[in-house]
Amino acid sequence: MGWRAIGHIAAVLGLLCCMDVAFAEDDGCAAAPGAARSDDCVAVGGWNLSVALGAGIRTNPVVHSKDIPLVVVPQFSYYGKRFFIDNLDPGVTLFEGDENTLSLIASPGYDRVFFYRSDLQNFFLGGATSVAGGGQTALVPVARTGETFRQIPESPRKITYLAGPEWTFKYAAVSGQLDYLHEITGRNHGDEIRGALGIPLGRLGGTWTANVGVTWKSAGIVNYYYGVPDLYNAGSVLNPFAKIGYSRSLSSKWKLEAFVHCERLGNAIADSPIIRAHYVTTAFVGATYVIHK
Amino acid sequence: MRHGGGNYIVQHGVGIALTRIPGVGRFMACSLALLGLWMAPFAYAALGPTGENIQLQISPRICTLTGNDKQCETPVHAQWRSSHEESLCLVIVARPDVKRCWEHYAEGTYTIQLTFAEDLTFQLRDLSLEHVLASEALRVIREALRYRHKRRQPWNIFD
Repeated sequence: MGWRAIGHIAAVLGLLCCMDVAFAEDDGCAAAPGAARSDDCVAVGGWNLSVALGAGIRTNPVVHSKDIPLVVVPQFSYYGKRFFIDNLDPGVTLFEGDENTLSLIASPGYDRVFFYRSDLQNFFLGGATSVAGGGQTALVPVARTGETFRQIPESPRKITYLAGPEWTFKYAAVSGQLDYLHEITGRNHGDEIRGALGIPLGRLGGTWTANVGVTWKSAGIVNYYYGVPDLYNAGSVLNPFAKIGYSRSLSSKWKLEAFVHCERLGNAIADSPIIRAHYVTTAFVGATYVIHK
Repeated sequence: MRHGGGNYIVQHGVGIALTRIPGVGRFMACSLALLGLWMAPFAYAALGPTGENIQLQISPRICTLTGNDKQCETPVHAQWRSSHEESLCLVIVARPDVKRCWEHYAEGTYTIQLTFAEDLTFQLRDLSLEHVLASEALRVIREALRYRHKRRQPWNIFD
């Protein structure tokens, strides 16, 4: 991603920060000082830093690539009155109510992590197709072409950022998220829709949750990562995923966490000659230490 | 304090008034006034401490909780002073573990390390702890924080 793209992102975020947009006070988080608040609430101006230490693995669907270990996963967030940054996702909240929130966010394109282990998203575990671990910095896939194999010329997959509106909501205990994002760094001009529901399953020795969702990627994005010139031209794709998570507070600073996340790659990705699997599975067990809250 | 149109004397803390008594000369009036002055300490002792002359100061007087602070943890210095000797105790309301007494002192100081989340009321009481002679409050102020929702992000793998 060039300086021009970074400049564009900074300009957009700066503009959003200065916009005098309507901002509703949130009834649920505006309790009197000292009163009990839900875990959903954070102090304006506060920042949070935690790190998860544990053992996990994520399968890598790219041919001739190794599965990725998960060992250290930092998590960072800052919330201003309107501006926030959640790991690698900056955003501006336009409307915040007790049940609905509308924001403009920017978020990196995740698929790059399969090809560059040094991608920042390999350290800040983000979306449905991110991984963590160290190792080589550029994976050169070898594709099946009929009955023979051929070396795919390495095509650069630059860091991309997508931006657009995000609607999050809470209905009863279920939380939801819907993003419509457009690639703004001028690499593929693609679009992406992210939708998910978080469903609490109950408390049995801790907190159990289930997440289900989908990611839709336009042909521009899919081709940028999984297309092969003169060999494979992909269309749009729909990737559904499901996740089971477990969390248990051990103390004010430590929390035990575990999850299994499985994403099915749509045909437009799975049929690519540089892809060998239809599923990406991520599993992690570890302890999260809150450094600052 | 004034009674009728005669002479009057006001002693700080205890007022003694003289009114014109028919048939009694100025000499008698002055004698009575001097007698009153001489008797005042005895009368004061007989009445017991009133607290009107006792000054109590505490430091700090305000503790401000900021950020994620749940409670104040600070040494608190209390100092009292009286124009005459007193026998009294320094206590904190609702904190029976804190009690410091003095007998026949005109002043005293006391420093204690305290942990508290709500206002504290320091009181000087007589030895029987029945009468409050002086009182000061140590206020707890919470920094006015605004809260908002964290981003709900079920799409995030670590959320």
